[in-house]
Amino acid sequence: MNLHPAALVFIYGLITALATGLGALPFAFVRTVSPRFVAWANAVASGLMLGASFGLVAQGTRYGSWQTLVGATAGVGFILLTQYVLGRYDIQFGRARGAGARQMVLMVVVMTAHSFSEGVAVGVAFGGGVTLAVVITAAIAVHNIPEGLAISAVLRPRGVSVWGCVGWSVVSSLPQPVMAVPAFLFVEAVRQALPYGIGFAAGAMVFMVLVELLPGAYEEARRPAVALLVSFTLVGMILFQQYL
Amino acid sequence: MDPIVTVLLYSGAAAATAGFGVLPAAMRRRLPSTWIGWANALAAGLMLGAAYTLMVPGLDRGALQGAAGAALGIGFVYLSHAALRIEDLELNRLDNPAPEYGYQVLLINTLHSAAEGVAIGVAMVLSVRFGGFVAAAIAVHNVAEGAVLATILASRGARIPEAAMLSMAAKVSQVLLAIATFAVVSAAPALLPWTLGFAVGALFYLVMVELLPESYREAGHTTIALVTVTAMGIVVLLGGGPR
Repeated sequence: MNLHPAALVFIYGLITALATGLGALPFAFVRTVSPRFVAWANAVASGLMLGASFGLVAQGTRYGSWQTLVGATAGVGFILLTQYVLGRYDIQFGRARGAGARQMVLMVVVMTAHSFSEGVAVGVAFGGGVTLAVVITAAIAVHNIPEGLAISAVLRPRGVSVWGCVGWSVVSSLPQPVMAVPAFLFVEAVRQALPYGIGFAAGAMVFMVLVELLPGAYEEARRPAVALLVSFTLVGMILFQQYL
Repeated sequence: MDPIVTVLLYSGAAAATAGFGVLPAAMRRRLPSTWIGWANALAAGLMLGAAYTLMVPGLDRGALQGAAGAALGIGFVYLSHAALRIEDLELNRLDNPAPEYGYQVLLINTLHSAAEGVAIGVAMVLSVRFGGFVAAAIAVHNVAEGAVLATILASRGARIPEAAMLSMAAKVSQVLLAIATFAVVSAAPALLPWTLGFAVGALFYLVMVELLPESYREAGHTTIALVTVTAMGIVVLLGGGPR
């Protein structure tokens, strides 16, 4: 089989996107969904996203602190704008309406937007040669699983089916193969934009956690329970990123 | 100058800034609850930023030990709150008539400051410049925390000079722990990644269990999130770059 390297990058990117769906699996075993369970799931998603952001920022500031900051500011603005737009319409997501539906749409939008910069990272990584392709693909695929977990932790308690969670998780990662190809073909030009993209992803995720996920968690569960879940998930996520 | 004296000066100056927290309470007896929420959010953002800047060198010096240290830091704060039965205490009540409430608030502030002392001390081991940076972030944070504490104390009948002294007294643990941490980790460098992790875990957990939950009740979610993320961004930008 003699594929163009760009096609190969696309296929590998697609595999990493499919891996995101695996994050929904733990929710296949959840039967009852109490308000407290929603709060705990919010806390886990918060820890995963804050841990991912800490890792992203550490990576982005290596390329340039100011560019990362500009990207992060844009990420925060993006969430505020999305919230404003969603607030103007009576949206529905699955069976949910109102605040629950807004949170689900925001979650999918945030994680999808954050996949753009990950796709760029995949493409740039392949720019060094396709020899390491399998290793890089495996690493990024494994990275995506907690992201699917974070999405499912928000969607599943609000009434989305397990297969729905798998589907939305995969959808949120589809920008990865799409962005990986141009990033691979125009590595030099794209490398300049990478810290902005990384900053954007981190800013959007941190702000999403602070403005939507944590307040909801504190309303329905005890403070120490939420804090313990967020803190231990954060530590686990940072460690996970460090070794994979 | 003896390095221990440097640590004493930096952490002492950071602790003393808590006294400035009485200024809002001195000007108007009672802070509006939205201000208390913003002060908490400012303190939370600065602490999250400090936790991030301590995480970066920790990852370079042993991520596994750092993670184990972080678990210890989280566990230490949780267990000390649980042992003192203050884990569910509502922290910012201005009209709590219970006589023991004042002591409990001072106690929880003292524990909180102890964790920050570890952060300053371990940062000083890495370099005086980094230690000074962390101390400065904690100092600004102490003003915001001192403002909240002084308002609570003033609402319980403390006079302004008393409130200022008590706010600073609750930070004495910060100075003691900064010096002890610096001395121990300097003598035993193998403890460095563990201690960095401990500080990251303890600071992060304190933000999640004390500062953010209170602030969301006192002001709108969007303003709280904006204040927190801005304060955090400034600390990360100034302190998170390559050293």
